[in-house]
Order: sequence, then C-alpha cells, then structure tokens
Amino acid sequence: MSAYQNQQHAVMQLRNVTKLISGKKIVDQLSFDVYPGEIVGLLGPNGAGKTTTIRMIVGLMDMSEGDVFIQGKSIRSDFTKAIRNIGAIIENPEFYPYMTGYDNLKQYQRMSEGVTEERLKTVTELVGLQDAMNKKVRAYSLGMRQRLGIAQALLHNPSLLILDEPTNGLDPAGIREMREYLKRIANEAGISILVSSHLLAEMELMCSRVVVIQEGKYVTHRTLGEPVLQEQNISISIRVDDLDRARKAAANVEQVEVVQMLVESNELVLSLMDEQIPQVVAKLGSEQVQIYRITETKQSLEDEFLKWTGGNRIA
Amino acid sequence: MLSFGQLVYNEWLKMSKKRSFLIAYAAILICIAAVGYLIVATAGDEMPTVLEFTSIIMAKNGVGVIVTIIAIIFTAGVVSKEHQLGTIKFLLIRAHSRSEILASKYVTVLLFTCSLIIFSAIIAATGGFIVFDHAAGDHIWQKIAQAALYQFIYTGIYVTLTFMFGVITRSSGATIGIGMTAVLLEGILSMLLSGYDFSKYLLFMNTDLSIYASSGPPIEGMTFSFSSVVAAAYVLLFLAASFVTFKKRDIA
Ligand SMILES: Nc1ncnc2c1ncn2[C@@H]1O[C@H](COP(=O)(O)OP(=O)(O)OP(=O)(O)O)[C@@H](O)[C@H]1O
Ligand SMILES: [Mg+2]
Repeated sequence: MSAYQNQQHAVMQLRNVTKLISGKKIVDQLSFDVYPGEIVGLLGPNGAGKTTTIRMIVGLMDMSEGDVFIQGKSIRSDFTKAIRNIGAIIENPEFYPYMTGYDNLKQYQRMSEGVTEERLKTVTELVGLQDAMNKKVRAYSLGMRQRLGIAQALLHNPSLLILDEPTNGLDPAGIREMREYLKRIANEAGISILVSSHLLAEMELMCSRVVVIQEGKYVTHRTLGEPVLQEQNISISIRVDDLDRARKAAANVEQVEVVQMLVESNELVLSLMDEQIPQVVAKLGSEQVQIYRITETKQSLEDEFLKWTGGNRIA
Repeated sequence: MLSFGQLVYNEWLKMSKKRSFLIAYAAILICIAAVGYLIVATAGDEMPTVLEFTSIIMAKNGVGVIVTIIAIIFTAGVVSKEHQLGTIKFLLIRAHSRSEILASKYVTVLLFTCSLIIFSAIIAATGGFIVFDHAAGDHIWQKIAQAALYQFIYTGIYVTLTFMFGVITRSSGATIGIGMTAVLLEGILSMLLSGYDFSKYLLFMNTDLSIYASSGPPIEGMTFSFSSVVAAAYVLLFLAASFVTFKKRDIA
C-alpha cells in the first residue's frame, strides 16, 4: 500500500500529538495509525502518558501541538463529526450511581442519533448485563461497571473503540471474556480497537500490534504473532554434567556463541542457528559430555518491553 | 433542535431522579402552609382573598428567598457533580459541542426554577381557595403573573451566578456556599451601600424589579429600565465566563 492509500484507510491517525503541562512535555510528538479491524495496544509503564494521549484523542484535553484524525476528520477542527466514530472508556468507567444501568445507557442513547431500543438490548446482552439493567449502578461491582462502560462505548456503532486499561478490576474469567469479545468485535464487526495497558502478557494475547511509549515519547512498535524467521539465531540452554568441558566443546563449533553459563543449574546458554544444534550435540557427545536436557529459551516480549522501557522506572 | 431537546431531557432526568428532588417541592409546600397559618392566626377580620394570598406568597418576601435557595442548591450540582462523579468523561465524548452541553444544563436549571415558581403559585392558589374568601380584586391575575415574572428574574440572576461558580470551582459544596452567601449578603450590602451613588451599578441593587411598582427605587434616579439593563449585563457576563471556562477546560 502506498502512503497515500494508508492515509485513506486509517481509521485513526495521530500526527505529532504533543501535550505541554506547565512546561513539561507529558506527550511528545506522538504519531501512529490504527487500521480497520485492528487491535492496537498502547503500551508503557505507569506515567508514560497513555491516559493523557487518550484524553487528547477524545477531546477531553486540548493538544498543545499536532492533531488526531478519525476517519479523516480532525478532532480539533471538526470535533462532533470526528468523535461520533469513537466509543471510549477513559480510566474507570463512571456512571450516575443513583440511576439504574438502563437509565444510564438511555442517557447515551439520547445523545446519539439512530440508536434504537433494539441496539441497546443487543449491547447489554453482548456484555452480559441483561439481568442487572434494573439495578442502581451504585450497587454494581467494578467489573459490572466495566461491562456497562463497554456497552456505553459500543452503543452508537463506533468504528473505533478506545479503552484505557479495560481489564482493570476484572477477575481472571472476566479478563478472558473481555479479551474474547474484544477480539470478536474486531473480527466480526470490523471495529478497530486501541487498548492501553502496562500489562504486557495481556496485550500479547489480544493485540495484533503494540505501540510502546515512554515518558510521552514513541519508543517502538511491534507486530505480534509474526513467525520467527528461520535464519534468525535462536537461543537454547543445555543442561550438562560438566559445564567447563561443555563450554570448550561448544565454542569449537562454528558460528555458535556461548551467551551464558548458569552455574547453579549447570546450564549452558548458546546462541546459534537451527542447523547447528545437531553439530553441537554430536560434538558434546564425542567429548563425553553428558546431556540431560535441551530447551529453547524464548526471550519473551516482557523482557523486550523491560529492555525498551528501562525496567521499572516510573516517569 | 430535536437533539438539544434530548439533552435538556437528559439533564432533567439526572436532576429529578435524585432522591432530594421531591424535598425541594415539599419545602415550598411547608413554607406556604406556614405563611398561610400565620396569616389566618394574625389577620383577625381582615382576611385576604384567594388571589391576594397568592400574590403575597409569590413576592420575594413570601416564598421568594426559599425558592432562590432551593434553585441555588440544585444549580450548584449541575456541572460540578459531573466532575465529582467523573461522569463528565462520558458526557463530553458524544457528538455534541461543549457549548451545547453547557447550554442544555443552563436551560434545565431555568426550567427547574420555573417549575418551582409555578408550583408555588398553584399551591398558594389551591390552598387559598380552601381557606380564604373567593372575591377577586382588580387586575389581580395580572399582579400574580407579574410577581411570578419578577420572582423568576430575581431567582434566575442568582441561578446564573451560581451556575458560573459551579463551572469555575467544580465543587458543589463551595458553589452552594458562595450562592447562599450572595443571597444573604444582598440585604445587608444594599442597606450599607445605598448611600453611595456607585452602588447602583452593583448587582445586588438591581435584582428585585418588583420594587419599582411598590416601594420605589432604592437610590434616587434608578429606574426600571436601568435595573433591567444592569441585571442583564451581569447575567451575560456570568454566562460568558461560564461558557469560556467550560470550553477551554482540560478534563483531567
Ligand atoms: N493534569 C496534569 N498536570 C500535570 N501533570 C500531569 C497531569 N496529568 C498527567 N500528568 C503527568 O503526566 C504523566 C503521564 O500521565 P498519564 O496518566 O497519562 O500516564 P499513564 O501512562 O496513563 O499511566 P498509568 O499506567 O499509571 O495509568 C504523569 O507523569 C503524570 O504525573
Ligand atoms: Mg493511565
């Protein structure tokens, strides 16, 4: 696809979005796109600026610089046309506690054109709240409010769903369920989803792409679920009886790099290509080194994430 | 226009579904009953007619101040509660401009004020009908309507002031405090400052337009139209401050 076509097709485009608060750049020149049917994760440690970015996208905060386009419409200059394509939850979903779930949803139904009673019923069933609709929201658990939040966001058939830490407060079953219906929404209805999180494992299970930010700046982006290329080096660990002899033997094989020696577990970590594994095994065998176990050590996205963001540093 | 009506309806529901909503009308009912009782107990032979009773009730010194205080209490929450509850986030991410949202809130508090005044008039008239003489005086309906209108203007000015502080402070408690203080200070300030000529430009001196028909201008040279213009200028100023603040604000 050419750059021009990309522009045509992106559901959302962030362009140099910047937020200055009292001289500090909370978000700094952030640009990325979201395409139809895609689930994109906005990833960053606490304080990275995820919520601030989302607040700017939905117009709750003014941008100091840059702009956001939703279906080609500018949030800054064409707000009502741009925002009608978005459904969102920003931080915790907050409702009128003295009204029922149904009355709360009715509020948002009246604010959008063409949302039928039928549609309202469909979304409450989708999030599984049909039995709680006549209860006051005061009596809802956080998980129920989270679901009502999703219902509220889907009500007007948006083409982009923006969720700030949507699994916050859900139990493991709830998290899985949420993940499943977000995937379903993206696949079946073709709705694009932007989710923010600092939980990487979460993102790996759900997103097709993650955008990593730190201290308000773009760090990198990653397409998830890509097959590992064959010619790439992989890393394996071999448990042996004699670590020293094993290291010498393995180092003799061409293009094999000894990465680490784990003394406590008697493991040798090597970086090499697939076809060298038999050579290494043969070599160790000929040197009378006993092999107890060979395992691939995958560097998880989590490790990468910590590498990108410099560990637990909070901005 | 249809969609604006829906916004107003939404605001009305948010207000009326609160448990405290009925208390507002109950308080007015009790007030009117108390005034009626006092009149019956003290009037002796000179009992007022139904319509006279109604116009006594509708005056600022009748049920006027209580109506204003109730209106202030509800107005104070109409913007600030959205901030306090956090519901402002869902409210502002719809296909409506912030000005439209704020305008619907303002219209709703004016409607609420209207409802309080009409309710007082109906209760006073029905109550009076049961207790007092039915004989009608001259132009008395017109007088009642006029009293209701002046009452609406008086309360509306304080409602607008309160509305502005609600937008600016985002705290319903602080806003109720400011609104009530303004009402209570009005009497004292206008007494203390009426000797100075500049005071005729103060808001306090121009809130009660009914005085031109009864006791006359508070300061020599003030007229009905002068007060109307000064009051309107203040109301516009308060509204401008409210809308500018609300449009510009970052919701954090
Ligand atoms: N209104 C504000 N005034 C000043 N600083 C702010 C304001 N809002 C946010 N910040 C700062 O901006 C930074 C980013 O905050 P933000 O809430 O966007 O982070 P986040 O990525 O959502 O974090 P978390 O994972 O904890 O939700 C933080 O350092 C925060 O202190
Ligand atoms: Mg956040």
